[in-house]
Amino acid sequence: MRAVRHIALNVFRESIRDRVPYNLVLFAVLLIGSSFLLAQLTAGQDVKIIKDLSLAAASIFGLFIAIFIGIGLVSKEVERRSIYSLLAKPISRPQFIAGKYAGLVLTLAVNVAVMTVAMYAVLGYLTWIESPDFKASWEAPGPDPALLKAMFLIFIELMLVTALALFFSTFSSPLLSAALTFGLYVAGNFNTELRNFEHVVDSPAAAWGARVLYHVLPDLSAFDVKTQVVHGFPVAAGYLWSTAAYGAAYIAALLLAAMYIFSRRDFK
Amino acid sequence: MIKVLAACGCLAAAVTLQVWRDGAFPRRHPDIARLLYVRSPAAVGRLALGFDALAADLYWIRAIQHYGGDRLNRDQPRRYELLYPLLDLTTSLDPYFNIAYRFGAIFLSEAYPGGPGRPDHAVALLRKGISAQPRKWQYYHDIAFVHYWSLRDPVTAAGWFRRGAEQPDAPNWLMPVAAAMLTQGSDRVSARFLWHQIRDADQPWLRGRAQHALRQLDALDDIDHLDAIVASQPRPAEEPFSWSWLVRLRALRVVPVDPAGAPYELDPATGRVTVAKASPLFPLPQLMVPIR
Amino acid sequence: MFPAILIEDLTKDYPVGFWRRRHYRALDRLSLSIEAGEVFGFLGPNGAGKTTTLKLLMQLIFPTSGRAEILGRPIGHVDARRRIGYLPENPYFYDYLTAEELLTYFAQLLDVPTAARRKRVAGLLDRVGIGRERRFQLRKFSKGMIQRVGIAQALLNEPDVLFLDEPMSGLDPLGRRDVRSLILELRDQGRTVFFSSHILADAEALCGRVAVVAGGRLAAEGRLSELAEFTARGWELVVANLAPEALERLRPLATRVTEIGTGRYTLELPLTQAPERIIPEIASTGATVVSMNPVRETLEDFFIQRITEAGTGARGAMAEGEHARR
Repeated sequence: MRAVRHIALNVFRESIRDRVPYNLVLFAVLLIGSSFLLAQLTAGQDVKIIKDLSLAAASIFGLFIAIFIGIGLVSKEVERRSIYSLLAKPISRPQFIAGKYAGLVLTLAVNVAVMTVAMYAVLGYLTWIESPDFKASWEAPGPDPALLKAMFLIFIELMLVTALALFFSTFSSPLLSAALTFGLYVAGNFNTELRNFEHVVDSPAAAWGARVLYHVLPDLSAFDVKTQVVHGFPVAAGYLWSTAAYGAAYIAALLLAAMYIFSRRDFK
Repeated sequence: MIKVLAACGCLAAAVTLQVWRDGAFPRRHPDIARLLYVRSPAAVGRLALGFDALAADLYWIRAIQHYGGDRLNRDQPRRYELLYPLLDLTTSLDPYFNIAYRFGAIFLSEAYPGGPGRPDHAVALLRKGISAQPRKWQYYHDIAFVHYWSLRDPVTAAGWFRRGAEQPDAPNWLMPVAAAMLTQGSDRVSARFLWHQIRDADQPWLRGRAQHALRQLDALDDIDHLDAIVASQPRPAEEPFSWSWLVRLRALRVVPVDPAGAPYELDPATGRVTVAKASPLFPLPQLMVPIR
Repeated sequence: MFPAILIEDLTKDYPVGFWRRRHYRALDRLSLSIEAGEVFGFLGPNGAGKTTTLKLLMQLIFPTSGRAEILGRPIGHVDARRRIGYLPENPYFYDYLTAEELLTYFAQLLDVPTAARRKRVAGLLDRVGIGRERRFQLRKFSKGMIQRVGIAQALLNEPDVLFLDEPMSGLDPLGRRDVRSLILELRDQGRTVFFSSHILADAEALCGRVAVVAGGRLAAEGRLSELAEFTARGWELVVANLAPEALERLRPLATRVTEIGTGRYTLELPLTQAPERIIPEIASTGATVVSMNPVRETLEDFFIQRITEAGTGARGAMAEGEHARR
């Protein structure tokens, strides 16, 4: 367990040294800049747009980190052969995978947390300066606590994408892993379409195939509650927890498969 | 090996959770699922970053799904409200997307519940097609057809048919159709001929729709025939009109069914014959009903 | 008492080709036994299977057949790894870390107690000659400095058995001398050192015993002095300020005389002419002996000879692998 922790902390340190936190600066600039511009352009809807923008940015920036660093986690070590001296230490390969994964999840957690704080800060400011008339037209309060639900599911989704990237990078080239992970990210987001397929097609074989895909592919569309939250629709706590549990089970499956493959691999 | 089994177990757990959650919390507020975020073709063009044709394909698939989903899904009221914006986006991103125009022409003008019943949208879409490809006779033909079939305006239709006939590669039957429009606006012969032309096109979607229209035309012929039979019999004294009455008189051997297999309806009070509301052919196009 | 390293019939096939999978035998039934406290040289030309053997021992790759033990435990046992050190060939470390951070990180993974960690890291960096640079990120390090860091990290847990893959590569002459003295120091502390090299001089300076591999097979094993292939065939003397008449006196004793410059000659003497007797003679003429070396087959000559004997080993092994697959 201690080895896993040390490896994880080293991944975190690597992401700091590789200037990953710069994306937070970009995020802040985007948020503050657009809130400044939007305040002049839209009538009272700037709070909604800021919410949309910050949730989307947290999701997309996180996606880039999850895919690009996630893929490098293992493949870079193997390619540059830094793994040789590491695995000669008393560490098992599953511990190595677990540590790498935990490290990137830590990076993502810090990233999402800082973004959340920045979002609430901007929303709080906008609410403070806005006139009560405008506030009456809002569907949801400015610094709405429900936004945390969306951020929470975004974080779980990013964890899942990281696990996907790690899984693919244990057996395929970085470029292919990136393509596969991104492909599954897109496919996973179209998952609801797959589920509705049986209403659209006549062929039972196609409907059955779509159903199987719906269950086997990561159901990423389930993690997207951005629109509901921004429009002030309720998101049930049960939905939140069952989706998070789904994510956890899926991640566990991916990590176990990654460990299995990685434990048998030759480093030529 | 243990790891593989454990991984499979975890995946099974994930699927179980997914199924349970889908049951407990049906996903997607219908209003949210039916949002089309960007409706401006120019904005979508910019967002597509040069992959316009690909984006057009995606919108086309969405259009088909939207139409098909609304048509087949019996649970919710059919609305088709995104059909026109989706087709408009498709054809703006790829102005040469032939089938999108033709599909739009046929289905946008189709009356509710088979379609949104918006012939004006159909014509607008086709005019866009003409501005992209002014030499394409099919677009003129389709506009003429919408005017003839849905808007019941044979004069305008004839004008468009003639303009289509003037285009290079136009088939030689377009001009006679234009003439027939002007002389005998509401005959079923022209309609049948035009639908036959559409049915012989190579698009399965259009073929199915043409098949449907041809059956409706057959139904209209049947109704004329049945109306004549009803009129030829002496009016029953105390009795309402009914098929059993006609069968008893030996004017009919059985209760007549329409080409889709549903029995025709006979209005008990007036003796008018119509297709049943439950029939797939309902409602029949208005133009071809003879004026009595 | 078990040997420090025991290798039995270790074999590794690599699949080659994309469509028709064939097998290339990188290592063919290697068996070795290395006693504790020995400095063992593992020699061979490039591509002979040295690195393959070391990677097999480190469980970076898995053997096709055969087995190995380190300190009496089968390889791959995590506990056995607590007591070994490993320097990979051309090592690479995280270039975003400083030398100090890298060693601290590895020390944590090796469970070096916190109290001892700082001292040990600093001591090792001093020992391999990394001074002020220890606070620089490794991306600024030269190949030789990386090699020194690599040696330091292999010593972090004060290992009983050390595996060094080409420890001298990338080092300047000064560095080579440092590493030699370090290895001898480790031997004096009772540690076992297993190192690979393709340079005979390294082995001569350090090893009790050597094994020579070529084409994936063990070609020779034993004490360097006992290996007939490496016994001297004669002597080579370089002499300066040699007077012409003195040269004429020496000429019949030598098998060959080559003039290098004015008064400077290379004399090749047969093994029968013991240099102990000739050198005083030369000195008495007023000439000076610049250098004296034994003439013998070089490791390279030996490799070439062995490879041709093995019927160009690698290709032979491949044909065999193919056969085995059918």
